[in-house]
Amino acid sequence: MTARGQDAVAGPSRDQQLPVASGRVTAAAVGRAAMALPGLVASSTAAAVVGSIATIATPVLLGRVVDVVIAALDRRTDVQAALTPLLAAVAVAVVVGAVLTSLALREAERLGASIAADLRERVVDRSLRMAPQTLERAGVGDVSTRVTEDVEVFTRSVPTISAVINSLITVGVSVVAFVTLDWRIALAFFTVVPVYVLSLRSYLPKAAVLYAEERSRASTRSRVLLESVHGSRTVHAYGMGELQADRVRGASEAGLAAALRARRAFAAFAWTMNAAEAVGLSAVIATGFLLVRADLVSVGDVTAAALLFHRLFGPLGILLTSFDDVQRAAAALARIVGVAQMDPPTSRVRPPRLATATVRLTGIRHAYDDGHEVLHGIDLVVPAGTSLAVVGESGAGKTTLAAIAAGVFPPSAGTVELVDGEDPATAVDLADLDQIDLRSLVGMVSQESHVFAGTLREDLQLVRPGCGDEELWAALDGTGAAAWARALPDGLDTVVGAGGHPLTAAQEQHLALTRLYLRDPPVVVLDEATAEASSAGARELERVADDLLTGRTAVVVAHRLTQARACDRILVMADGRAVELGHHDELVAAGGMYARLWRTWTTSGRDATA
Amino acid sequence: MNRRTPRAAATGRSPLWRPMFRRHRRQLALGYLLATTHQVCEALVPVAAGYVIGLAVASSSVPAILVGVGAILVLFAVLASAAAYGYYLIGKAAVTEAHLQRVAVVRRILTDPSVGRDRQAGELLSITSSDTQGATQVMETVGSLVAATVGLTVAAVVLLRIDLVLGLGVLVMLTVLVGGVRLLSPYLERRLSARQQAVGLSAAVASDLLTGLRSLRGFGGVAEAVRRYRTASRLSLEATVRATTSNAVVGTTSRLATGALVVLTAAVAAGYAVEGRISLAELVTVIGMATFLLDPISGITRSVQDLAVSWASGRRVAELLTSSAPPTAPSHGRADGPLRLTDVVEDGLGPLSLELAPGELLGVVTPDVATADTLSELLAGSRAPAAGTVLLGDVPVADLDPGSVRSRLLVEPHAVHLLGGSLAAALDTGAGDGQVDLPAALDAAALRVDDLTGHTGPAGSGPPALSDIALLDHGANLSGGQRQRVALARALLADRDLLVLRDPTSAVDAVTEDAIADGLRRVRAGRRGTVVFTTSPLLLSRCDRVLFVGADGSSTTGPHGDLLALDAYRSVVLR
Repeated sequence: MTARGQDAVAGPSRDQQLPVASGRVTAAAVGRAAMALPGLVASSTAAAVVGSIATIATPVLLGRVVDVVIAALDRRTDVQAALTPLLAAVAVAVVVGAVLTSLALREAERLGASIAADLRERVVDRSLRMAPQTLERAGVGDVSTRVTEDVEVFTRSVPTISAVINSLITVGVSVVAFVTLDWRIALAFFTVVPVYVLSLRSYLPKAAVLYAEERSRASTRSRVLLESVHGSRTVHAYGMGELQADRVRGASEAGLAAALRARRAFAAFAWTMNAAEAVGLSAVIATGFLLVRADLVSVGDVTAAALLFHRLFGPLGILLTSFDDVQRAAAALARIVGVAQMDPPTSRVRPPRLATATVRLTGIRHAYDDGHEVLHGIDLVVPAGTSLAVVGESGAGKTTLAAIAAGVFPPSAGTVELVDGEDPATAVDLADLDQIDLRSLVGMVSQESHVFAGTLREDLQLVRPGCGDEELWAALDGTGAAAWARALPDGLDTVVGAGGHPLTAAQEQHLALTRLYLRDPPVVVLDEATAEASSAGARELERVADDLLTGRTAVVVAHRLTQARACDRILVMADGRAVELGHHDELVAAGGMYARLWRTWTTSGRDATA
Repeated sequence: MNRRTPRAAATGRSPLWRPMFRRHRRQLALGYLLATTHQVCEALVPVAAGYVIGLAVASSSVPAILVGVGAILVLFAVLASAAAYGYYLIGKAAVTEAHLQRVAVVRRILTDPSVGRDRQAGELLSITSSDTQGATQVMETVGSLVAATVGLTVAAVVLLRIDLVLGLGVLVMLTVLVGGVRLLSPYLERRLSARQQAVGLSAAVASDLLTGLRSLRGFGGVAEAVRRYRTASRLSLEATVRATTSNAVVGTTSRLATGALVVLTAAVAAGYAVEGRISLAELVTVIGMATFLLDPISGITRSVQDLAVSWASGRRVAELLTSSAPPTAPSHGRADGPLRLTDVVEDGLGPLSLELAPGELLGVVTPDVATADTLSELLAGSRAPAAGTVLLGDVPVADLDPGSVRSRLLVEPHAVHLLGGSLAAALDTGAGDGQVDLPAALDAAALRVDDLTGHTGPAGSGPPALSDIALLDHGANLSGGQRQRVALARALLADRDLLVLRDPTSAVDAVTEDAIADGLRRVRAGRRGTVVFTTSPLLLSRCDRVLFVGADGSSTTGPHGDLLALDAYRSVVLR
C-alpha cells in the first residue's frame, strides 16, 4: 500500500459527501442568478405570455369563422364583411404567435444557458479550490461527478426546461381561453387531469428505478468497452479475445435488458397519455353537444374548443414526457448548487514571502475516516535548504506523511509549520493557507502525474500564465526535458494529454518536475516521483530531481535507495512511526533497519563484484 | 459472430442493412404495420372531430353524438395501442441489433490484432459505441418514413375527396412551404453541431482538470485552471446563444408557414362552405387537417437526412467487420520446442544468436527503451527481423497461429492494462490448464490481498475474496506498484511455456523487488522459459544468464556476476 493516502481502495465513507442544496436553497440560488439578468427574465416571460395568447387565439378565431359560415348559411348575411376582419385577425394572431413563441423559446434558452454557465463556473472554481479536508473526505470521485456529470446533465437539459416552461405557459393560457369560451367546456377539459395524475403516479416511481438501472448498466458497459479497446494489446498478448469479447457481451446484454425494461414501461405510459387525450377530447365534444343543444354556446365555440384541445396535445406531451428529465436536472442542479454555495476557502493569515523555509512537523497523527490510524505521532524538523528522504516498506505511512507535509490534507492531530529560514520568529501553519497561497510556498509531485489536454505550452503555462516561449524553453532546459520536447512533432505546440501525442511515463514525470521548476517554491515534496519510469528512465529522473532539490527544503519519498542516499538526511518509517533518522553513512553504520534495507538493495550488485 | 461476406467487401463497404433487416424481419414488419396504423389514426383525429362537430353537434342529434364519441374512443384505443406496441417493437429491434453489432465489432477488434493496427483507440471506441447505435437507428428511421408517408397519403386522400381543387392546393402549398423551411436546416444544423461541440469542449476541459486535480493542486495551477475553464465555459455559452438564435429563426419560419397555410385554407374553405361546395363538417375537417399535415411532411424530410447519417455510421461499422484479416498461413512444424534466435538483425540490434535452454530464466539488458521494444516485438512475433530467424520449436514466431500463441507464448505488454471490474476478473485470462495455482502466483508477485484493501477488515473476518476487491477504472484505485504486481501475478498464472516480461518491478520498493525476484525463480525456473527485460541487479542476479545488448547493437551473454566486469554493463545496472 504505497499510496494509501491517494488511492485507498476502500474510498471515503459515503456520509462524508459534499453538500446537496435543499429545494429552497436551490430555487433561491437560481432566482439570484436569474435576477442578475433582469432583461432576459422580463423579455422571456413577456414573449411567452403574449405568444401563447396569440397562438391560442388562432383556434378561437377559427371557431368564429365556423360560426360566421353557419350564420351565412342560415340567414345569408354578408359573409364577405364578417369574414375579412376575422381572417385578418387570424393572420395577425398567426404572425404574432409565430414570432413571439420562437422569441420566448430563445430568450428562455439564453437565460437558462447563462445561469448554467454561471453555476458551472462557480462549481469548478469551488471544487478546484476546495479546502483540503473537505476534498479528502468527499473524495475526488464525488467532486468530479459534480463538475462533469451533474453540470452536463443540467446544461443539456436547458432547452428541455425552457420548452417545459413555455409549454406550462401555453397550457395556462389555454385554460384561460377555455374559461373565456365557456366555463363548462373548461370543466370538461379538466377531465384529463385525473388521468394524467394517475398515470404519472404509477409511472414516475417505476421510471426512476428503471432509468437509474439502465444508466448504471450503460456505464458498466462503457467501462468494459473502454478497457477492452484500450487494453486490446494485452488481450492479444494473452490470446484472450474470445473471453474478453464474452465479458463485453455480458455487460452489453445486461444493458440491453435494462434498456428494454425501461422502454416497456415508457410504452405503457405513452398509452395512458393517449387515453387521457381521448377522454379529454370526448368530454369536450360531449359537453359541447349538450351546451349547443341547450343553446348556451355556438358550434363555433365547440369547434374552437376541439381545435384548442388538439393543439394542446403537443405541449402536454412535452410536459409529461420530460417529467423525468426535469426531475433529473433538478437533482443535478441541487448537487451543483450544494458545491457552488460553499464558501471558497481563503487564507486566514497573510501569506509570508519566504526565500527559504524550515518545515516543522509537530505531533503528527493521522487516521483515515474508518478510524484506522496510520501515523502515530511524528515530530520532525527539516531545516531550510536541506533534503530529507523518507524510506520504509510498503504501508509504513510514507505517502501519508508526505501528503501532510505538503498540505494535501491536514493531519488528524498536530501541525505543519513553515518557519522563515532568515527569521525563525516568523512561522505559518499550512492549515491557515488557501490553495493558491500554499502552492507558492510548497510544491508537490506525486507518483502519478497528469498531462493536461492541450499543447505542451498550455500545460506548462498552467503554472505560469502568459509565460513566454523563451522562459518555457529555459525551464525545459533546466530539467533536461528540452531534449525530448524539441523532438516532439510540433515542439511546444504539440498537443499532449488525452487524445494527443502520447508521452512515456518517464516523460510525464519529467514534465511534472519541470512544472515544479517553473513554480520555484522554497519547499518541495516528491512522492516516488520517479517510480513509474522504467529503471533506466528512473535514474535520469533522479538526477533531475536532485538538481531541483538544490537550495530548497525537500521531503522525498523514495523506493530507490540511491535517491535516498543523495539526500542530507534519511527518515526510516515503520508502521506509522519514525524509527531511524540520520545521514546515510550513519544509518548504515548503525546497523538498524536502514542498513538492512540498504543491504537488500545492493547485495546482488555489490557482492558479485566483491 | 462472423459476418464477413465476400460480396460486401467487394462492393466497397455498404452498410450491412440487408442482414440487419432480415434478422429482425418479423418484429419489424409488425412494428411498421402498427406505426403506420398509428399515423393514419393521428391523421383521422381532426377528421373525426370535424365530422362529429359538423354532423352531431351542429344537428343536436343524440344517436349521432353517441356514435361520434364512441368512434373517437375507438379511434384513440387503436391509435394508442398501435403506437405503444409498434414503437416498442421497432425500438427493441434497433437496440438489440445495436447490441449485436457492438459485440461483433468488439470481438473483431479483440481477436484480430490487424484491425486496430491502423486505427486510433478513440476511433475504435467511437465505432463500437456511437456508430453501432447510429447504424441501427435506420430501423427506426424507416419506420417513421413508412408511417409518415402512409399517414400523409391518407390525409391527402381525405382532402382530395372533400374537394379536388382545395386538396391539390393544400398539398402543393405544403410541399413548397416544407421545402422552403428545409432550405434553412443546413444552416441550423451547423449551428447546432457547433453548440454540441462547444458544450462538449467545456465538459472535456472540466473532466481533464478534475482527472488531474491532484497534480494541479500539487504544482499550484488552480488559479490558471479556473480562469481557463471560465474561458471555455464562456465560449460554449456564446455558441449556445448563437444556436438558439438560428433555432428561433427556423422556428419562426416554420410556424409562419403553418399559420399561412391555415389562414389561406380557412379563407378558401369558408368561401366554399358558404357557396355550399363543401359541408360544414368538411370545413372543420379541412381546417383541422391543415394544421396536422405539416408533421408528417417534415417527418419525411427529417427521415431522409437521418438515413444519410445512418448510412455513414453503417459504413464505418461494415468496414471494420468486413476488413479482410491478413492471410494466416497455417504453421507447419511443431511449436513446442525452445526459443531460438539465429543471426537476427534489426534496428539497433544484432547480429544476435541465442537459444533459450528449457526452463531457463534469461535477463535482458538494453541500452535504451527503443531496443527493448524492438527485441520484445521480435519475440512477440509482431515484427519480423530484417535478417535472421526467431523460431519457437520449428516455427517462426511471426507465423504462429493464435491457438499456439495462446498455449505457448506470452509477451506481457510494457504498459499495464488490467481488465475486469474485480481482482478475480483481472487475474482470469481464460487459461485453464496452468500448473501455477492462485496463491502461488500471488505470493510470487509479492501481492498480499490485505495490502490491496488498505488493511484487514474487522478482526477475525479473514481476507476478502478476490472477486470482492473492486478495480475502478482499470485499477486506478491501485498504486502503480500494485498494478504492476497484479499484472505479474496474472502473467505467472497464465503459465505459458515462454514468458517475456518488461521491467516488471520498476514501481516497487527494494524489499518487494527482492521478494519478486525470488518468486519468479520459484514459480518458473527449471520448468518454463522466461525472459525478463530489466536493469535491476536484484532480478538480474537471480537470472541463469543475462543478455546484454550494447549501444552499438552487439550482444554479450553470461551470468550477471561475470558481466559486471564490463564497464558498459555496470554503468547500466548499478544503481
